Amino acid sequence: MSAKPRETANVGTGLWKATGMWAWLLFRISGLVLVFYLGAHILVISTSQWSEAGKTLNDLMKAFDHPVLILLDLALVVAVLYHALNGVRIILMDFGIGIKRHKIVYWVCMGVVVILFAIFAYVAFSFIITGEGVTG
Amino acid sequence: MRAETVSTHRGGMWSWLFQRITAVLLIVCLAIHLIFTHIVGIGDINYDTIGDRLAHAGFIAVDIILLAAGTFHALNGLRMVLMDYWFTSRKRALILTIVLWVIGLAALGYGIWALWPWIS
Repeated sequence: MSAKPRETANVGTGLWKATGMWAWLLFRISGLVLVFYLGAHILVISTSQWSEAGKTLNDLMKAFDHPVLILLDLALVVAVLYHALNGVRIILMDFGIGIKRHKIVYWVCMGVVVILFAIFAYVAFSFIITGEGVTG
Repeated sequence: MRAETVSTHRGGMWSWLFQRITAVLLIVCLAIHLIFTHIVGIGDINYDTIGDRLAHAGFIAVDIILLAAGTFHALNGLRMVLMDYWFTSRKRALILTIVLWVIGLAALGYGIWALWPWIS
């Protein structure tokens, strides 16, 4: 039996194409990225707190203020926002909400991703340029 | 749409339901988490400021929900992906499920233990 019967089935029914395919593929990739990030996140933060007065943790957090790491952080925000909003779309579809206008629902969700990303990007770039947060 | 429907159907009803419940919990708690770490706390995250935050019971609750819901959602999501590739038979899927539950419960126990100085 083929290793990927489901993909084959989707091709056969004409489902493995266009927007839905990309929505599914990006959902899967962002999900996998987040699983591995979550593991690293829990491990690194929990183990770095046990040094004297959290010195390892403080050094690490200082290192994370580097522009390159702030930009990587922003890339992670994209993965989180995409996964969250596409997830909202899937839950809406499960409830049958907007199922007749599912393409519009998808693009509205992507619009929300862009708007929320703009907020996070503004904070990140302000910090990279001025070295200060935006909330004081 | 169909891709997700077929995929979730294969995972079982309870895993489908809990994936949705944890998704909603994660959206709420992750929003709080990201606002306080990325937007409010950017550049000012260290042992002391994290300690101040964790002095509030609300943040402890958010962190524990993130830990539990995040672990379940992540490992169940990983399970759904892996069941599409090598763990396709019922027997392999069962072994995968058991292994992931052991990893998940160990991670949850470890996470609570690591948070314990702030809980107690």
